[in-house]
Amino acid sequence: MGDADSFRMRMEGVRYRYPRAGSDALSGIDLEFEQGRMYAVLGRNGSGKSTLARCLNGLLVPTVGRVTVGGLDSADGASGLEIRRNVAMVFQNPDAQMIASSVEEEVAFGPENLGLEPALIRGRVDRAMDLVGIRELARRQPRKLSQGQKQLVAVAGALAMEPRFIVSDESTSMLDHDARERVLELFGRLRDDGLGIVHVTHFLEEALLADTVVILEDGVVADEGAPADVLSSPDEVRGLGLRPLEVTVVIRELATLGHRVPAGVLDIEELLSWLNA
Amino acid sequence: MAERLTLEEVSYSYPLPGREDLPALDGISLAVEPGEVLCVAGANGSGKSTLAQVCAGLLAPTAGSMGYGGEKIEGRRRLLSFRRKVGLLFQNAEDQLFADTVFEDVAFGPRNHGLKGEELETRVASAAGHAGIDLDELGGRSPFSLSEGEKRRVALAGVLALDPEVLVLDEPFIGLDFDNGERLKGVLGAYREERGASVVIVTHELADAWSLADRFVLLDGGRCAAVEEKSELVRGDIELAGLGMRLPQWGALARGLIRCGVAVADPSDPVVLARAMAERRRASDGR
Repeated sequence: MGDADSFRMRMEGVRYRYPRAGSDALSGIDLEFEQGRMYAVLGRNGSGKSTLARCLNGLLVPTVGRVTVGGLDSADGASGLEIRRNVAMVFQNPDAQMIASSVEEEVAFGPENLGLEPALIRGRVDRAMDLVGIRELARRQPRKLSQGQKQLVAVAGALAMEPRFIVSDESTSMLDHDARERVLELFGRLRDDGLGIVHVTHFLEEALLADTVVILEDGVVADEGAPADVLSSPDEVRGLGLRPLEVTVVIRELATLGHRVPAGVLDIEELLSWLNA
Repeated sequence: MAERLTLEEVSYSYPLPGREDLPALDGISLAVEPGEVLCVAGANGSGKSTLAQVCAGLLAPTAGSMGYGGEKIEGRRRLLSFRRKVGLLFQNAEDQLFADTVFEDVAFGPRNHGLKGEELETRVASAAGHAGIDLDELGGRSPFSLSEGEKRRVALAGVLALDPEVLVLDEPFIGLDFDNGERLKGVLGAYREERGASVVIVTHELADAWSLADRFVLLDGGRCAAVEEKSELVRGDIELAGLGMRLPQWGALARGLIRCGVAVADPSDPVVLARAMAERRRASDGR
């Protein structure tokens, strides 16, 4: 994509307070998201993760500060459609998103709302279903699919908008292991194809797949960086209300027993090869 | 103290008006031993939630039979009396909350059981205490104004206020962060300990119940694929991937160690795992 370098989502000094809330859900966020990268956003319940996700596609407009998508300000009402076209959301519960009576109608819902020509819509729907690998489900009723299949349909619906970013708000948390793997594998492929992925999650193992990890705490960015830098200290991770990676806990225990495992080891295979070295 | 809950060849199909019934459970036989924590695990659509509702007496088996304390649960009266001994925490806490205040929500069940006055207050306070709800702070608030973690705890307090001998929880960890999840595990462990209750945890993620559960029932397409202990799961007696599940990281690490010839006593304790690894390193350094 030629202009991939210039197309970014930016949050500048973003604060957000829900109506009638006593405090800010986001209290001063500066972040930049590029295409062709995967970001994992972590944080305990109430840390501001979902609010951040909703600010990125203009569902919420900052109380203070600004969010720009490809230079367009989300506070500018006229930019709303363009922003939602470029930043597609996938939510936690796919049931809440399924409205049509067949999978292909479901996937077509977004582009239809954009007012595209039927032939153009057809092409987008087919491409999106192929990318996700759900062509064979085209005629099925969305409500009768498994949770995992429904979530793939939701992702296909997002892709049919031909967005530059996908923002996933805990889209894997209700899925079983197989379905989760499929969605994550798809996110990885889309990233490699040049899309930007922002994946909000509770699971640190999923954050290992990201290029950049952002941890929120009380509405601010508590840590940001590569997984190996941000996730290797179990005590710091724990202090931010997250479940530390089990491997890092064992490495800390090994240190107290006088055994130093080299920095950057985050998964079991690496730990076992150290053991057997 | 709980008694033995048994399911024998239990099947359940959902009636669909004008169409063929939708089978969800097919010939499940299992026992929940008094005071044990049993994890029921399976992929989406494996029948977990249906089994939870059957265990709680909300759905009556369409075939097969159930027993509690050696007596068959059959007929309306036996079923009603069984229901009084079981508490079910639904997957979505909001489904369970409805009163104007947290206190009234927790008090609803025991009030229906005929408790009042001081007895009722004591029961509510004890349940709230177990669930980690501060009634002085939250008692007068609307349950719907609370955070997700707090709502789940209020719903749990409402279930505990019924003083159940068997506690069934449907996906209690979904949406809870680490701190809230750990707190819930503490609550369940303590309730089991003090009340001698049996606890059935239904989950799609073995990791959620790994440290707490004594045994694991693995469901696959409405059937019971296996009932295993932690050590058996670690050994790999059953292929979890085929059931849409995976071994928790602790278990995967323990399995890796065993394959490297390192003995592991408790596959859920990091200190035990680290000691075993340290010993192995010392042995190979000494060679």
